[in-house]
Amino acid sequence: MELILAIGIGSLFATGIFQLLRRNIIRSAIGLVILMNAVNLFLLCTGAYVGSEPAYISSASGFRSDALPQALILTAIVISMGGTAFVLSMLYIISSRYKTSDLDEVDGLKN
Amino acid sequence: MLNDHLTVLPILIPLTGAMITLMLRQTRRLQAAFALGSILMSLTVSAWLTAEVWQGGQPIVFHSGGWSPPFGITLVGDLLSAVFVLMSQLVLTTGIIYAIGSKDAVVKYPTFYPLFLMLAASLTGAILTGDLFNMYVFAELMVISGTVLTAVSDDRYGTEAAYKYFYISLTASFFMLFAIGSLYVCYGTLNMADLAKRIPIDGGQPLLLPGIGFLMATFMVKSAVFPFHFWQPDFHTAAPTSVSAMLSSVVVKLGVYGFLRMTTLLFVLQAPVIRWILVVLGVAGVIFGGLSAVGTHNAKRMLAYSTLAQIGFILIGIGWGTPLAIAAMLMLAGYVASRAPVKSAAFDVVTGVGKSIPAAGVLFLIGSLGLAGIPPTNGFISKMMLFHSGIDAADFGALLLMAIGSLLTLVYTNRAFIRIWWQRPPGSTGAKPTGDHLLAPAILILLVLILGLWAEPLVQVARETSLWLDSPGLYVQAVLGR
Repeated sequence: MELILAIGIGSLFATGIFQLLRRNIIRSAIGLVILMNAVNLFLLCTGAYVGSEPAYISSASGFRSDALPQALILTAIVISMGGTAFVLSMLYIISSRYKTSDLDEVDGLKN
Repeated sequence: MLNDHLTVLPILIPLTGAMITLMLRQTRRLQAAFALGSILMSLTVSAWLTAEVWQGGQPIVFHSGGWSPPFGITLVGDLLSAVFVLMSQLVLTTGIIYAIGSKDAVVKYPTFYPLFLMLAASLTGAILTGDLFNMYVFAELMVISGTVLTAVSDDRYGTEAAYKYFYISLTASFFMLFAIGSLYVCYGTLNMADLAKRIPIDGGQPLLLPGIGFLMATFMVKSAVFPFHFWQPDFHTAAPTSVSAMLSSVVVKLGVYGFLRMTTLLFVLQAPVIRWILVVLGVAGVIFGGLSAVGTHNAKRMLAYSTLAQIGFILIGIGWGTPLAIAAMLMLAGYVASRAPVKSAAFDVVTGVGKSIPAAGVLFLIGSLGLAGIPPTNGFISKMMLFHSGIDAADFGALLLMAIGSLLTLVYTNRAFIRIWWQRPPGSTGAKPTGDHLLAPAILILLVLILGLWAEPLVQVARETSLWLDSPGLYVQAVLGR
């Protein structure tokens, strides 16, 4: 299980970084979303799935999962969702202003 | 206890103010007045907090929700965070005053003041919190409000700069999450005091070093340390004046605060290596920022590069730097741009504009002295302390480079002064009769002068703070209660 998750997170991270560095702005936004999922999976690995018992049940037997990483992931998801929405809206404005989806042609700041 | 709540109020007041000003968006004057009122109130509370911490000699800790220490979110006001909060609230207050007197179209944007107050609340929160994840949340809030404020700027390229910055900082936030995950899996806690207690006991955890590295990368992007600075000049130049003064002076200080907490609280054992990296990057930043500032063609951009150099100085000597002076200088550059025939701070446009506004010239000159660290200003005091500590450490190579950096500061600020106030305007176009209001930079310059002439309290606070920083046990004990 650990190995599968590690390989999964690693490949997601690699894909995310690769897409983030692409010139197409849509692709780089997708890279951001993939990266976000890699980070969330990493947080999940810090002990959110190891237990066999639900966290908030009074029976003392069994090993419980840690509830905190789940709370962290929930917060991170909400924040990144806001961030993604904002990125997409700015992307829309920029691509309609410059009439392109190539980041190399968005060069108003160069001069 | 009322005292405990002093650490919540500087966050809660601007946050509430942001909500209320959002409701008041129909009546613009009332909105501005309310924003000013709430930032003044939180400035008062943070001054009270600082005084209380200073007199009590003890960090003020608030356990939110009444949870016992390592489980809930704690807000900690020790001398370092209290002084940082006071300084940022001061600069943010002048930012709102500048915005009220500004002729920019952006201040008429209905959510300008709410976003500004949100920036204040999140900056204060990120400094006062004693929990790493909480710091991430506040830092993210700060990034989003700063980005939106830049995206709606009068500058045509505001959106583009905001997009660039948001990409970088979103990636940096992911790094911070990685660091949080790494530290959590090693030590099972995110409370900074608890981490500080556990890390020295069990320093051999495999994910500790990646955690430190990711955290450093995050703070470096947040404060635009030399190799991570590439977004900063664009972003700070395109931002509206009142916002860019905030970004260049106090928002970048969050990274500095993070480094201070890292080296003096969380990773005390690894601190020498971290500090060595910071000094090397700081020296590189001083030289690179200074040289780039000399070579720019825009007053605001010059000051953005200057910020890079100032951050370098702060990293070398872990001092206060000159947030008041840099904020004042940026406001003055914005003021000059608002009086220029075309609204721009490019040197070609603003040459000779200063002829009819000598008052701004005097302020600009004093501000540039403050930036370079020339006697009657507080910049001199902080630079003198920096050089003293450099001599004590016998680090003469860094000292020499710092001296060169200071000289460069003088060169580019005075060149700007001469171009704007002494040279003849190229055509017959003089300054426009009206522009932004000069009150906010005047307040800041006055403070620069007062703190330079009556420097005793500043020196005392700095000395006391470094004493507090040398004994992280005080912080841990105050939070955990044992």
